[in-house]
Amino acid sequence: MIEIEELRKSYGEAIAVDGITLAARAGEIFGLLGPNGAGKTTTVGCICGLLTPSAGRVKVGGHDVVRDGAAARAQLGVVPQELALYDDLSARENLAYWGGAQGLRNPKLRERIQQVLGLAGLEDRAREPVKRFSGGMKRRLNFACGILHSPKVLLLDEPTVGVDPQSRVRLLELVRAEARAGTCVLYTTHYMEEAETLCDRLAIMDHGKIIAAGTLADLRSLLAERDLLRLTGVFAPAAARAAIEGIDSVEILHCDGSMLSMSLPEASAKLPAIFTALAQAGAEVRGTTLTQPSLESLFIKLTGKELRE
Amino acid sequence: MRFTLISAKKDLTRLGRDPLALLTALGIPLVLIALITLVFGGGGSATPQGKLLFADEDQSFVSGAIRGAFGNEPVSKMIAVESVGREEGLRRMDRGEASALLIVPRGFQNAYFRNQPIQLQLIENPAQRILPKMIEETLSIVVDGGFYLQKLAPVPLSSFAGAPPPSDEGAAFLGIRFNRLARDLRKYLNPLLIDLKFNVAAENPQDRNVAALFLPAMLFMSLLFLGNAHALDIWKEQAWGTMRRLATTPVSLAALLGGRLISLVVVLSGVALVGVAGMRWSAGVPVASVGLAAVWLVLSGAAFYLLLVSIAVRSSSQRTANVTGNLVVFPLALIGGCFFPFEMMPDWMASIGRLTPNGWAITQFKALVAGSAGARDFFVGAAYIAAAGAILFVLALRGIRKLV
Repeated sequence: MIEIEELRKSYGEAIAVDGITLAARAGEIFGLLGPNGAGKTTTVGCICGLLTPSAGRVKVGGHDVVRDGAAARAQLGVVPQELALYDDLSARENLAYWGGAQGLRNPKLRERIQQVLGLAGLEDRAREPVKRFSGGMKRRLNFACGILHSPKVLLLDEPTVGVDPQSRVRLLELVRAEARAGTCVLYTTHYMEEAETLCDRLAIMDHGKIIAAGTLADLRSLLAERDLLRLTGVFAPAAARAAIEGIDSVEILHCDGSMLSMSLPEASAKLPAIFTALAQAGAEVRGTTLTQPSLESLFIKLTGKELRE
Repeated sequence: MRFTLISAKKDLTRLGRDPLALLTALGIPLVLIALITLVFGGGGSATPQGKLLFADEDQSFVSGAIRGAFGNEPVSKMIAVESVGREEGLRRMDRGEASALLIVPRGFQNAYFRNQPIQLQLIENPAQRILPKMIEETLSIVVDGGFYLQKLAPVPLSSFAGAPPPSDEGAAFLGIRFNRLARDLRKYLNPLLIDLKFNVAAENPQDRNVAALFLPAMLFMSLLFLGNAHALDIWKEQAWGTMRRLATTPVSLAALLGGRLISLVVVLSGVALVGVAGMRWSAGVPVASVGLAAVWLVLSGAAFYLLLVSIAVRSSSQRTANVTGNLVVFPLALIGGCFFPFEMMPDWMASIGRLTPNGWAITQFKALVAGSAGARDFFVGAAYIAAAGAILFVLALRGIRKLV
């Protein structure tokens, strides 16, 4: 459904996406993770035709997004991170407008509007101006506008940002329902737990490249059941690194003047040795975070930074 | 095209949800027409007339000539001269009963002929603005004329001072000398004959009244403001992300711009009909063709919108677009005859103003209103607007695509 081959997008000297290749299938939820500036948004922009690739090829539903843009976009439903809605129109009027943009006509349009209003739990508020909606309701309507025309490919860009837990659960269930119905879903998120529970496959991006991809199990195996230890304080990087490297099975992921992160098995047992070594190296430890193996720890292991940095 | 109409419906619905904005847009010309009608009383003979109280203490030939200067058209149509005594004049000015009081002191003629300093006293009514200034202007022309006559006269004017009235022969002699002088000076004093071609053929002074002077300007001012407000609204679509979302659908962004244009045309049609009908039936301005005049307003407004939106979408932010829009609209309105009619401007400024898009459109509109331009002129002008509109549409669309 989505095929990306050697996609490259640059702005002058700056390379936003650096030759990525990925494919997402029908009925699959594909997660795209990465910190700000990793190239996720540029990739999504190239898929939905907002940006023209500098090189490589992107196909949606078998249609090249550059050469056959309108046909590719007809396969696509986009739920942007921003609430792309008209506040002064009602939910029904918003849906009618976006349905019209996708070429839906009555009576099919009316029927689909009724269906998605039901799915989003907004039937009884359908005639109210959107400006009276809560944040969660707006998010659900934003989602409903994206799935109104039953797209074959659904692009979801951080669809649960700022949503209350109840609405989040409902939205995630709607995403799963779309995938079960055979839609190919590309999901970008900052919430690791969402990605862990929702996505069938994942790709982690950093500096415009995919640095890891696979199922959640594939990615977890990269961690080899190792814990992630992050220390904050005041470090002399060279001395701290030398002190830690003397401890068995510890792999330093990142070290600078204020943060030291490492991957290690059974971290709690090794903590006293680590603190002693760092004290001898003149380091001052002020904070400690120990993370069990997870997608988040994998992300930090791979990129050396947190997803939200 | 189908989505263009859907988009237009969306914009009209949004306008309908904000009735104050819609009423403001529709009400601008209505309010302006109502105000002008209230101020000047409406009707075809609504030329404002001021009153000049003339206290002639000299009772001489020269003081009579000054009074006579206010008896010539077009001044005489706007200023009625009434003879009064000094005291009565001052009392009436205190009561605000006239635009100005002119006192010609005793001995004025003799002092003038002898080239001695003497004062004319003009007392203006501070509650009025335009008419006292017109009186002042007319008087200054008379005074300047008198000064030059003294310098250029074929016989010393001082010879008339205190002299008895000339004999018939003497009067004929003087008449011939002055006539020759006037003929010799004609080429210097009357160069406007050459400039007549710059006068607007559309304007028929017989039919002109204040409403006819101001209403077209104000209608076009409404069009500019309306177009600017609608042009800036595109930045809301950008801020909301709706424009970006639309770019991910199969429809073209041209449909979005087309829809906005159609919705504006609907609003403009309301403004144009109310405005032209108001001119015709409320302010009493004779309108040769209500239909053509209204359609011209709509076409002009649509073109202004496309011009302003193509500027707005090239700004770096909504705030910049706002500032840029005002920087374009206000100078255009000021010099292009939207704040002040060309008839009130200095000739050089009016000449420049008529070259602006709105200045050109106002001139054509007045011609349609006055009936000096017909259907053929209308279609030629409309073709120009359509051509300019097509170019501006493409420019605006390119800007919108960059904005996405």
